[in-house]
Amino acid sequence: MTPPLAHTMALQLKRAGKFFGARPVFKNITCDLPAGQVLLVVGRNGAGKSTLLKAMAGLTPLSLGAVERHVPLERTAYLGHNTFLYHRLTALENLAFWAGMYGLSPSKDELLETLTRVGLARAAYEQAGIFSRGMAQRLTLARVLLVRPDLLFLDEPGTGLDTASLAVLHREIAQARERGALVVWVSHQISEDLARADLVLSLSGGATGSTSGQGWSFGPASAYVPEASC
Amino acid sequence: MLRPTLTLARKDLKLMASGGQGLIQAALLGLLLIFVFSLSRPAGEVVPAQGAAAIFWLASAFGQVLVFNGLYSLEELTGARLGLLLSPAPRHALWLGKALAGFFLLLACQVLFAPAVVVFLGQDILDWPTWGLTVLVVDWGLVALGSLLGALAQGQAARESLLTVILFPLLLPLLLSAIKLTAGVFSGQAPEGYEQWLGMALAFDALFSGAAIFLFPFVYGGEE
Repeated sequence: MTPPLAHTMALQLKRAGKFFGARPVFKNITCDLPAGQVLLVVGRNGAGKSTLLKAMAGLTPLSLGAVERHVPLERTAYLGHNTFLYHRLTALENLAFWAGMYGLSPSKDELLETLTRVGLARAAYEQAGIFSRGMAQRLTLARVLLVRPDLLFLDEPGTGLDTASLAVLHREIAQARERGALVVWVSHQISEDLARADLVLSLSGGATGSTSGQGWSFGPASAYVPEASC
Repeated sequence: MLRPTLTLARKDLKLMASGGQGLIQAALLGLLLIFVFSLSRPAGEVVPAQGAAAIFWLASAFGQVLVFNGLYSLEELTGARLGLLLSPAPRHALWLGKALAGFFLLLACQVLFAPAVVVFLGQDILDWPTWGLTVLVVDWGLVALGSLLGALAQGQAARESLLTVILFPLLLPLLLSAIKLTAGVFSGQAPEGYEQWLGMALAFDALFSGAAIFLFPFVYGGEE
């Protein structure tokens, strides 16, 4: 039987650094991220938030240090700027395809139920190409939910979403945390999203500019002061 | 590995068939090539079997470039390549899925090319077993390499020319075998050194399938 993920380490950064040429994007980031937490990654534009997220997800190699993921790929999901949707497939076909790529065999009813959770049941048989940005993002969220991830990477997932869609997103993030998942969440809406986070990793870009003088700071969300490091 | 391979191939075939992306262009270009070459023979003369075979495989090779450009462009619009890389599917399964889809699409094109060769170039398919074997063996070599190099060219602005430039020189040994074997099919006489030509095609398949299994994860998993 697989042990519950809560209170176990889901991901660790060990002196992680990334350079584009000679320019450091971030360096020497070390932190342990336990399961059942929401980590908010914040920083100004160009600070390296998305790059760090991709490095955590294994999509881009680090220049220095290491990322250790303690969650199998089968239980890892990523929701970013790209929707990963195929425009000439229906919402249902898109979900079925991604389920297949994750080795899952959900029934049609299960797929429809997932679409219902994100409010897209009526659009199940419509091609994703005609979806609005919000609908596409909801379908992307459905793709993520299908995996029931224990490690969830979110790169500004609220971009372009209306109030109702944001509520769905926030509900699912909360449920993922309750289930014992680690949620790594890149956000620009710090004032709104801070209350939903347990931990904050703040990047100031390169190696200078933060209160710690090392270009990043990490700590509990309750102790985070936005003005101090961004 | 089989499940994600088939899932990817099925999705690609559905999208290519529904949108005609790459497939129609490949079929039309191949048919046009065969027709234009048919004009090169003087009236009343028959194109030599080896010439007809060369035209057939040239059409197939150009078609292959368009097919794999189409297949890899399916992932470009919404960044789905990242999604595939993040999935637990082995990266070899992605290569194999694309290769399988390309194999069936190329066969679909050749179903059109073969009667065109008969009609426009005045050939007869006299040895069906050898014809079937030749098409299967050579097509697998074409798609094994096409799927690897298609991944290399994906995301590049000049991917059509890039793919053509790097693909065609590598294909030469396979195309030589294909032309020799197919000429025998059209003339009804097994070519001299039949086993050697077939062996060369099989060796090409094995070599580039192996190379693709080793190299594909690096090629397709590269940074954007």
